[in-house]
Amino acid sequence: MSGQTARRSGGAQTAPPSISEQVVERLAPYLGEFNAQVWVKVVAQRNLGLEPEDLSVADLEPLMEGLRPSLNTFMGRSAADGLLKKVSREVR
Amino acid sequence: MRYRWLALFPLLFAAVFAAIAWQLADGGGLDPFIHWQRLLVRVLAITGCFAAFSAFASGDHLRRAWFWLGVATVLVLVRDVIRMVAASGDAAPIDWTVSALGVLSNVALLAGVWMLARAWKVAAISLPGGETGVGVVTVLAALLALAVAGPGALKHFQSVVAGDWSALILLVSAVVDILSLCLLAPLLLTTISLRGGLFAWPWGLVTASMLCWLLYDAAAAFGGALAGGFPLTALFRGLAENFLFAAGMAQSFAVRSVREA
Repeated sequence: MSGQTARRSGGAQTAPPSISEQVVERLAPYLGEFNAQVWVKVVAQRNLGLEPEDLSVADLEPLMEGLRPSLNTFMGRSAADGLLKKVSREVR
Repeated sequence: MRYRWLALFPLLFAAVFAAIAWQLADGGGLDPFIHWQRLLVRVLAITGCFAAFSAFASGDHLRRAWFWLGVATVLVLVRDVIRMVAASGDAAPIDWTVSALGVLSNVALLAGVWMLARAWKVAAISLPGGETGVGVVTVLAALLALAVAGPGALKHFQSVVAGDWSALILLVSAVVDILSLCLLAPLLLTTISLRGGLFAWPWGLVTASMLCWLLYDAAAAFGGALAGGFPLTALFRGLAENFLFAAGMAQSFAVRSVREA
């Protein structure tokens, strides 16, 4: 069940943010909300064949790898690597 | 906060420049002031470009972009220094050296702006409006660039065709200006896509720099100075170089802040 579905079906106040929401929240300060959402959505659909709200913890590693080329381009490989590791550590 | 100060710096610098230039416009001190101010803004721009360059690792796409922007500014600084030093020397060989440096600087600038402008392609991301949006904004930017730099390019082309090879550098400069200004579109759209994020700052400031070069070209097309002798082209050149300085520093700060997070 996705985070959004969980919120719709009750317990709206306590449902934790979905995996994609957590990743977007951590990328947005650097890339902006628009890019963070679009990049996560594109990688989820293109690389994993999933909608963002259907991502699970098991999808985190391929999601991070899918985001890596774009992040490498905009912030360099070293910074991108650090950010991806940080996101992987923090998102649950 | 430091990003806002970086964005404000070119405007504050321009205000101080304008105040001093107004004071000197009636006397004989304006030319030396403009020469030294030009060297200062070139040095600042070089500092910004290589600060950004040093923030990236070997092989990073934007490291190459900032390298070429820095090289372009170094070459144009060398040209300015040669012009100043050789003002009373043998003009003929100096003219060719100055022309060659001008051409090389323009080519390096175009290479740097081109690499920045195609970062979204390298990153395989979508820009706001998609391919159609990029196409429409590019056509608008191209029309604007042609309106501003086109008449000059045509005039220099006619001079070259008539056998005046000294106009070649001016023709190359005008063509490079048009091509660089066309690249405003992807720079602007990349900035919009990054809005709200730290990395919007360097992109926004580079876009501002390119817009100021557009204003510089427009001012040059109308003679370069306002009534009363106020040096409008020098003002816009200073703004363009200082926005490049600010963009480079912002790029460096943004990359380092991700690393330290």
